[in-house]
Amino acid sequence: MATRSQTAAVLLAGALALAACGSGGTSQAPAASGAKTLVIDTSFDLKTADPGRTYEPTGLIVGKAVYETLLTFDGADVTKPVPALAESYELSEDGKTLTLKLKQGATFADGSPVTADDVVFSLTRVRDMKGTPSFLLDGVEVAKTDDTTITLTSEAANPALPFILPNPALGILNSKVAKQNGATADAQDKAEQYLNANSAGSGPYTIESFNVSSQVTLKANPKYYGTKPAYDKVVIRNVEAATQKLNVQRGDSQVALNLSGDQVTGMPATLQVEKTASANVIFLLANQDSAISKTTPNAKFVEAVRKGVDYAGLLELAGEGSTQAPGVIPSQILGALPADQGAKRDVEGAKAALAASGLSNPTVKLEYPSELTVNGLSFQPLAERIQANLKEVGITVDLQPAPVTTALDNYRNGKEEMGLWYWGPDYPDPSDYLAFLPGKTVGLRAGWKEGAAKEIEEAGAKAAETIGDDARKTAYADVQTKLNASGPFIPLIQPGQNIVTAASVTGLEYHPVWTVDVADLGVK
Amino acid sequence: MPPLARFLIRRVLLAVLMAWGITLVTFVLTNLVPGDPVAANLGQRALGDPAIVAQWRAEHGLDKPLWQQYLLHLQGLVQGDLGTSQQSHRPVSQDLAEFVPATLELAGAAILVSLVLGVAFGVVAALRRDRLSDHALRVLSLIGISVPTFWLALVAFYVFFYRLQITPGSGRVDAALGGAPYVTGLQTVDAVLAGRWDIFSSAVGHLITPALVLALYTIGLLTRFTRSAVLEVLGQDYVRAARAKGLPGRTILFRYVLRSALVPIITVAGLAFGSLLSGTVLVEAIFAWPGVGQYAYKSATTLDLPAVMGVGLVVGIVYLVINLVVDVLYGVIDPRVRLQ
Repeated sequence: MATRSQTAAVLLAGALALAACGSGGTSQAPAASGAKTLVIDTSFDLKTADPGRTYEPTGLIVGKAVYETLLTFDGADVTKPVPALAESYELSEDGKTLTLKLKQGATFADGSPVTADDVVFSLTRVRDMKGTPSFLLDGVEVAKTDDTTITLTSEAANPALPFILPNPALGILNSKVAKQNGATADAQDKAEQYLNANSAGSGPYTIESFNVSSQVTLKANPKYYGTKPAYDKVVIRNVEAATQKLNVQRGDSQVALNLSGDQVTGMPATLQVEKTASANVIFLLANQDSAISKTTPNAKFVEAVRKGVDYAGLLELAGEGSTQAPGVIPSQILGALPADQGAKRDVEGAKAALAASGLSNPTVKLEYPSELTVNGLSFQPLAERIQANLKEVGITVDLQPAPVTTALDNYRNGKEEMGLWYWGPDYPDPSDYLAFLPGKTVGLRAGWKEGAAKEIEEAGAKAAETIGDDARKTAYADVQTKLNASGPFIPLIQPGQNIVTAASVTGLEYHPVWTVDVADLGVK
Repeated sequence: MPPLARFLIRRVLLAVLMAWGITLVTFVLTNLVPGDPVAANLGQRALGDPAIVAQWRAEHGLDKPLWQQYLLHLQGLVQGDLGTSQQSHRPVSQDLAEFVPATLELAGAAILVSLVLGVAFGVVAALRRDRLSDHALRVLSLIGISVPTFWLALVAFYVFFYRLQITPGSGRVDAALGGAPYVTGLQTVDAVLAGRWDIFSSAVGHLITPALVLALYTIGLLTRFTRSAVLEVLGQDYVRAARAKGLPGRTILFRYVLRSALVPIITVAGLAFGSLLSGTVLVEAIFAWPGVGQYAYKSATTLDLPAVMGVGLVVGIVYLVINLVVDVLYGVIDPRVRLQ
């Protein structure tokens, strides 16, 4: 048997190892709050810091901070574009020409002035590079009339253009610097690597470090000509929602962006919780292609589903901050239907509609992305709830969950009998929702071909050309009323966007395009 | 040629052949996954534009037949090019150079702790067989083996970070400190090289909880194996003879017992390192540790094929290297192995 001293020696070795590892634990990292650093936790959806390629939520946060656009929105109000790099704008009466006057005195992070040439180059580059956001400027010609005037000309009336221009993807680049680093206004562009490590913008922040999977660090732009931001440094970290909650509660971060309705209930009073409906609309689609389904193209069947869904129950599932979507256009955007026009549950009406459809005990397949969450809300419980709702009406729903990458295939190719999906605005203008019309992106996914619904298509075409806020409101409301009456889509809910901030952070507003404008945040 | 050199060359050649096999398997498996990477990578709007879709396909070589894609992939690999990630738009090799060291640092710390504690515990348990400390250590190792790592990670994060507030939070270093300039990619080492002791202590602090969480399983495993290996050796005639000759206990332990017990311990340690790597995926997610696990997860969910293949290759090669090292160590420790 071993002696006591042998045992002691072995134990000591172990203890030493533990002690060596333990020493760092007690020496807490130096307090970060002294310097004005803001830590934002979010689940990353990020690919690039090149504004011309930016399309993902986290990328838009970065883009908004680093680049400036011609127009922007004031706070969270997306119904009225306001000047940014352009001091004024004017849309011609036919809606085809947008004239912008450039602000004087704006400078890039290297101190050089923002010129009309930079604007022309940046916008042309986004359009012709054929990156994900290039559709924003489809068919738009960009020209400089003089050193301070830019004109954007579209082939057809384009009243949405002022609402598109604030998109951070249309941020203005320092064209000289960008060109030196491989930027070209065509598909050969090679500037992305450079732009992922450096900033060539005129925004309040510049990029200090950029990593698509873990962390982005921004530092205040010392040459910024506008109001200096309150924080010298902003760290945006990729953190799971459950950990985000603990981090912000412990004070390790100051902002948590992705908490679900459940997670924000019972937050301590020391934290601020901003609960608003997000601009994402979750909807059902019933395929109109008779080759895909014998059941779903039946208008009475769609009516039965519309009346059979328990909207209030879905809201309960979705938790705080969520609202019912009365139409496909979310509440924040011009032209949204008033809340009282949302569909209501009417089980008897649903049964009557089903009886009138001539279908007896129909069974339909409902496809949806199983692991996708929108604002912390998973599609699985929603689909199960809808299945239970429709069971009461006499419709059997066969749930067909699939990973999003697989599910997207059928959805995109219009092969789903029924689908549960969501649409977030590409830009906060009702024209973005014309995609739901026959023959358009989402319409086709519901097997709804051009010419399938003449009346709705005409209403859509009219809305697209209507100019003036009030006239547009009426026109888009008309499109949605018609869609709700006979279209293949059933708008369900807008899940809540819950943002938790430390008590010290002021000025946070949820924005439907860039989630949060970090330069707007202050310190109490 | 000396037997050891022949043995080494044979092992290395076999490893190269297996590395090629890994490229084939990862390529085939990755391309078997249903789903279109285009749909996973472009926005809903852009998907409606055939020009953008076609350009994206061409840019990523997806317009070519599969066998051509594989040959191009292989050609790239030979030139050290792992392709370009569809999500980060950077060379996969560059991404991996950033994320692999983070995981190696975590897994390395965990295996170090496991080896020291696991072997120590195992020896103690064997020497004090059937006494209270033996029973206690056996229960402890059983717990270490049975508790799921991700659950333990969540609990540890909650208890030590949130409740007790004694450990730092997410990531590899304090967010405000940034990080040391990249040299090796190992934050602790880079901090020392840069002479930044604040970063070093922050990095070590951030390592402790996730490394211990990861280590618990391997500690349990090593404790059990070491215990039984030592017990077996203790029962051998030559140990009894040594003891009868009156050799000091320390000499017996280190020269006879541990040396003989080393072969099974190394085997288990090698295997344990492999399981550590897979364990890091969830631990990294919970501690927001920017390692290869998180990168792999994100690549898989966005069908970023070049990145998935890159990760598969690297993980495969790490396993190969570990097996190689284990084999070589056998050869060094036990001359009989070289001749086989």
